[in-house]
Amino acid sequence: MATTQTRTDPKLMAHLLRRAGFGATPAELDLALERGYEATLDDLLDPTAADVLPDDLIRRYHVDQSDLRGSPAAAAHWIYRMATTDSPLREKMCLFWHRVFATGATKLIQARVVTSQIDMFREHGMGSFRDLLVQLSRDPAMLMWLDNQDNHKDSINENYGREILELFSMGVGNYTEDDIKECARAFTGWRVVNPDYMSIKMRNNTARPYGYISWQFEYDDEDHDHGEKTLLGETGDFNGEDAVDIICKQQATAEFIARHLYHFFVADELPVPQWPHMPPRDPAAIEVMTKAYFESGYSIKEMLRATFTSDFFKSEASRFARIKSPAEMVVGTMRLAGGLEIPSGDTYAAASACANMGQALMAPPSVEGWQGGSEWINTGTYVERVNFVGKILNDPDRPGVRAVIDRIGRTAKGSALSPEKLVGACLEVLGPLDLLDSTHRNLVDYATKFGEVSFSDEVLSPRADEAVVALIQLIVSTQEYQMA
Amino acid sequence: MTTTAFRLEYLTNVGFCADQGGRGFMMPTAMAIRDDGRIFVVSRSNTTALNIVGIQMVTRDHEYFGQIGSYGREAGQMVWPTALALDKQRNLYLADESLHRITTYDNEGSLVSTWGTKGSGHGEFDGPSGILFDADDNLVVVDHRNHRVQKYTKDGKILSEWGSFGHGDGQFNLPWGITQDREGNLYIADWRNDRIQKFAPDGTFIAKYGTPGDGDGQFNRPSGVGVDSEGNIYVADRGNQRVQVLDSDGNFLTKLRGEATLNPWAQEYLEAQADEKAARAKFVPVFEVDTDDPSEVSARIEPYFWDPVAVVLDDEDRAYVLETCRHRFQIYERA
Repeated sequence: MATTQTRTDPKLMAHLLRRAGFGATPAELDLALERGYEATLDDLLDPTAADVLPDDLIRRYHVDQSDLRGSPAAAAHWIYRMATTDSPLREKMCLFWHRVFATGATKLIQARVVTSQIDMFREHGMGSFRDLLVQLSRDPAMLMWLDNQDNHKDSINENYGREILELFSMGVGNYTEDDIKECARAFTGWRVVNPDYMSIKMRNNTARPYGYISWQFEYDDEDHDHGEKTLLGETGDFNGEDAVDIICKQQATAEFIARHLYHFFVADELPVPQWPHMPPRDPAAIEVMTKAYFESGYSIKEMLRATFTSDFFKSEASRFARIKSPAEMVVGTMRLAGGLEIPSGDTYAAASACANMGQALMAPPSVEGWQGGSEWINTGTYVERVNFVGKILNDPDRPGVRAVIDRIGRTAKGSALSPEKLVGACLEVLGPLDLLDSTHRNLVDYATKFGEVSFSDEVLSPRADEAVVALIQLIVSTQEYQMA
Repeated sequence: MTTTAFRLEYLTNVGFCADQGGRGFMMPTAMAIRDDGRIFVVSRSNTTALNIVGIQMVTRDHEYFGQIGSYGREAGQMVWPTALALDKQRNLYLADESLHRITTYDNEGSLVSTWGTKGSGHGEFDGPSGILFDADDNLVVVDHRNHRVQKYTKDGKILSEWGSFGHGDGQFNLPWGITQDREGNLYIADWRNDRIQKFAPDGTFIAKYGTPGDGDGQFNRPSGVGVDSEGNIYVADRGNQRVQVLDSDGNFLTKLRGEATLNPWAQEYLEAQADEKAARAKFVPVFEVDTDDPSEVSARIEPYFWDPVAVVLDDEDRAYVLETCRHRFQIYERA
């Protein structure tokens, strides 16, 4: 008996591509529907596309993206990568880990090492959490960010030992002050090459005399405390990797990472400081993800698979239930607009817009990263969002905008579109988006000023361009477009 | 018969990260040496330090004479400076690949003229990236996004052009730097074809050197080229973060990775920073790295070249290697 494959609901597919990526162009959505939900999810989880950036061109024209010392260049470089990648979930996970393991270029005086940290997330961000935590612990930007170069066997600095437990794995309430000290002892001797000189240059905030020097991890066994330690109930001569092994076994770690993933991919959670006192929004969902964590040997990819195949993710209630972060908003719009062959001033403007919307990439407000959710939106940031999107999507000759117009033209099949149909067609290609009835009515009212719009000849088409671009401008300023 | 191996010795370097302006450079992209020893270096800088965009004037003896020009679109200003050249009257010419124009300053640094139109037509530019004056004092311009070379009179009248997009002999893929030998033959860094091409003064193809790669005699996006009095060819092998020298037949002679020391400007800076100076006493500049990425290696090892963009020879065959990301040039001479 032949099996029949049910075509995935376009709205569900669009939901997946918004959450596990940066949204889809109409053509990308078609392609994904052709592939089906499971296959599309497999593609997202196991990206085979090489992570290609024309680095030679970038470095030729944007010499500051060769150096990557400054935050504007580094953020523009990352935005270019997010806006052009064929592996959007991989980039999304870089954003996710950048939020959880928030490291800022401001203290470090250089964004290049933060870029290297993001590169590390790109490589390990969907692999084993154990490997990721080891890489994080030897990441030069993290070591300097949390002062581990000052963590010596005869005088420990607890910063990294504290944060790996509190912010990066288990969360407050699941360990003791003694565990923090013992964890710090396990990481003694983990530092960067030339630690004294690098620390002073960082403190003095100087790239002189010859530009900045990038950092490299170094383990100094002589400065490592080889004494016995007791961490989370286990005792031994633990080094950093042993500490990570012990941390990864904990139920609290699985739940903490699951809750972060839920907040980022499913629905807004409470702010992290409230987690010790308040249960998760959906305990059953956390349980599903936690189970995947342990059953897969700490695989982040399997936690994601469990999430994206779950009913709690697919449910209609979870659609458009999250406010897009500035990076999601900016990158998604740039991907829709297209036309980024080489990084242009647009990527710098996009990085700056992100910052104005409250998310300066590589410069999180603190070690706790961005809370997100409703905090993304206030009057000022909302205006910033609308202005940015309006500016990017106002040119009918941008390839992505042109594709939207042409697609609407094709759906018209030679006939003129009424205001109602024109609005419907625009909402279809930009989402599909469902608007509040009142908003929808306002759009239709507005569209009546263009009358019946025809795409069929050279005389009428410019008017159609004008109408579609004007409607796009209005649609992207709606509350619904701000939601993922 | 004995042969002497070709060897270059490091002399000194000139430069300093002028991130707040003043003595030094900020992401320099081109240099030219005047017959009286004055050296012009143009800084492209970055988006947060646009006040340092301009042409700084120095000597190889670490004298500093200030800056010509500034960031902007007005006449005499620049946005993306790419190349410098001097004519026989000591006027200084600047190419700008963003503004698609040539700007001329007199030997006092005052603006003389500016010309150039963006386009792909005869006499138009799309990103002028390398310039020089030939024996007749005509200006040869590498018009890189049009994948061609053009010859102009000094005041911008087009005389001839050659080249097209491709990888055949005499074709280009985003070419960059240009130089000439004593006979007036032209050498062009055919950047995205990973090779150097040699032409007669009239543009007739003569030879090509190099293939893509990181072996001896191979190139990864070469950006600049210089030729000494014997016809040896010095290539800024930018993607490989090194300089290679070929003999006049294109045979590999030697390669340099860079070995900069602290120059007097850097030493003066450290004298004024007691804590940095003390830490610097224990600083190990060259160490074993755990990456294969040449750019990242250069980012970690301060004496190495980092984005060596141009090699310029002076009249005594000293080679000056300009490094964009280390804000300096290193000087080498024949051993």
